[in-house]
Amino acid sequence: MKGIKLQKLYNSERFLKIIFGLGLFIVLCMGGLAYKYVRELSESFRLVQHTYEVHVELEKLLSLLKDAESGKRGYIISKDSTFLKPLLTNRVALDESLDQLQTLMDENPQQQQNVKDLRLKIDKSLAIFDTTLALADRGKIESMEFKSAFQEGRRVMNSVRFQMIDMTAQENQVLKKRREASSESLSSAPLSVYYVLIFCLAILLLTYVQISKNLKTLRQKNEQLETFKESSTQSAMVSKHGNWIWHEDDNRFEFSDSLYRLLGEEPESFVPTYDNFLEFVHPADRDRLTEQMDAMYVKKELPYIHYRIRQKNGHIKHFKAYAKLLVDMEGHARLLGTTADVTDEKENYRMLEEKNAELEKNNKELASFNYVASHDLQEPLRKIQTFISRLEDKDMGNLSGSSRMYLDRIKTASERMRSLIDDLLQYSRTNTSDQAMEMSDVNDLLDAAKQDLAEVIMEKTATITSDAFPKMKVIPFQIKQLFLNLISNSLKYSKEDTAPVIKIGYATAKAKHLKTLKSSKYRSYHIITLEDNGIGFDQQYVDQIFELFNRLHGKSEYSGTGIGLSICKKIVENHNGEITAQGNLGQGATFTVYLPIR
Amino acid sequence: MQDDFTYIALADDDEDDRLFFTEAFEELKLKTKVDTFIDGVALMKALRDADTFIPNILFLDLNMPKKSGLDCLKEIKRNHKFRDMAVAIYSTSASEEDIENTFVNGANIYIKKPNDFKTLKKVLLDVVTINWQYHTNGLNRDNFLLRL
Repeated sequence: MKGIKLQKLYNSERFLKIIFGLGLFIVLCMGGLAYKYVRELSESFRLVQHTYEVHVELEKLLSLLKDAESGKRGYIISKDSTFLKPLLTNRVALDESLDQLQTLMDENPQQQQNVKDLRLKIDKSLAIFDTTLALADRGKIESMEFKSAFQEGRRVMNSVRFQMIDMTAQENQVLKKRREASSESLSSAPLSVYYVLIFCLAILLLTYVQISKNLKTLRQKNEQLETFKESSTQSAMVSKHGNWIWHEDDNRFEFSDSLYRLLGEEPESFVPTYDNFLEFVHPADRDRLTEQMDAMYVKKELPYIHYRIRQKNGHIKHFKAYAKLLVDMEGHARLLGTTADVTDEKENYRMLEEKNAELEKNNKELASFNYVASHDLQEPLRKIQTFISRLEDKDMGNLSGSSRMYLDRIKTASERMRSLIDDLLQYSRTNTSDQAMEMSDVNDLLDAAKQDLAEVIMEKTATITSDAFPKMKVIPFQIKQLFLNLISNSLKYSKEDTAPVIKIGYATAKAKHLKTLKSSKYRSYHIITLEDNGIGFDQQYVDQIFELFNRLHGKSEYSGTGIGLSICKKIVENHNGEITAQGNLGQGATFTVYLPIR
Repeated sequence: MQDDFTYIALADDDEDDRLFFTEAFEELKLKTKVDTFIDGVALMKALRDADTFIPNILFLDLNMPKKSGLDCLKEIKRNHKFRDMAVAIYSTSASEEDIENTFVNGANIYIKKPNDFKTLKKVLLDVVTINWQYHTNGLNRDNFLLRL
């Protein structure tokens, strides 16, 4: 999840870079474009001005020539030499004007040629002026010569005028052509600039959205980080651990606040150096810790180490530390360390060990008690019984009636003592739950139990029916004992006048359908039921019947030690199962055994 | 002389049990010769000293001071000299552990001391009249413990 988010962030960062690059490129393009347009504009302006200048120059030339012409005419008519003045001054102005034109037409070879032609024509016209004036001075106005010269002058003048018109037209042509060329790009320029601008704005908007989104994510991440920091501080307090960092570059340490607290000090109360820390370390552990830290400087790693520290108030604490090297993207190596206060852990472990030892001792005592019960207690009893049997065999005839009765009572009491010892032994042996479970044929185990009880079954003319059992994973001899105890229980508490009928049934069920189970750690269970037609019991005593030494009947009514059903319960519990009973006073009882299916 | 009667030995630290044992054989009136030893040490000493005189059946109590019945059993089974001697464990307890240990160490039969004299006589009669050859060949864990 986190990985995907980071990936997205990375992508969007790249996206931003692309956007930025694109924007930069577009602005550059726009600059270039604008420069080009300005260039074109100024060019066309220059052209217009050029044409205008040419016009002006040509007009000026023409007016000068006209001035000269009218001056000439005035002089011929009035013979007043003042009329010739403009003719003289205009010659210089004409030359200047022509030169000016020449420079203006610098770029255009054709116009250049035109200027040259014009100059020739003007020169020619001026020469005719001079001839005409000379003829007039000599008074040959009426002569043919003068007339032809005058006409020639007019003709040349006209050709000059045509030449000029031609040049103006040509200049206009050039201007028009240039304009056509530039107007195409110029007319589309404002629109394209507008489009690009819109595009630029759109990109900017997109970038803004992306950036604000990133900022939001960043803020969220920051909040998460803040939360994480807070929770890690909390967890450090709860789990009693502190963090430290060793910067390899400048051999500098950083201690977290919680580490100071572990040492029993206020945060930042001393400079976090190794030497300062070492002062807290238990003197007996200092050398070892220094050794391990020296190894850490070399190996850049600190395996799990244990040591003790002594707080200033004298409390001894057990610490456990571990550190791992972390190299960041810029190549700075830091050793990230965690130190935990394991005093409680050690204390608990020590207590557990003590308890374990005690338990083991108790178990041994119990085992020796078992041995005492099985051997030492039985021995004197066996002798008592044997001596009684000796007495009966040898001297029964010599005893009085009451003595015989006493002997009988002694015999009964010692027999009861024997069965108590036997059952107790059976019960304590059922304790040893280290018996291996194995797949067993439960039908065989039931048969074996019936075999052991064959004599009583015959005696009571009991009928026992049973369903077929599948193979089960059980402790075989215990299951046999279970059947034995349950059947003998039913036989014992059978009605005096009715032959016992015992029905043993089998079924399976899923744990979720078994509402009566106290705990159901397994999915499904074997259900073994044993139903009899005996004296039954009051349902209110159901829990008591499984308790050790608990009996519902007087000893003289029914013989029994009150251990048999307790053994049953223990066996079932050894198999992680449960046993319940349903009693119906005077009608019978049903015992139900649940064994988990493994 | 050895062929005429069965030579039986018992090692048991309990005086009463030794008494019951000898009385039972007296009443059985079999052609037997019964020797009793007060503990494992006395038994092993007698067995070591008697070169030719080896019991046909040895009854061993398990819980004895100085040298337990199990130790005696192990020692006897290590010695080739006693390969024809049948060893019957004769103990108060019949714990699974004891039965297992003695069976593994080569005892021939396991007898839990009976509670009355009549049963004791029957058990001893059974043991003495067993065809040991037959019993030992078919020996297995199930018929090791003598059931009455």
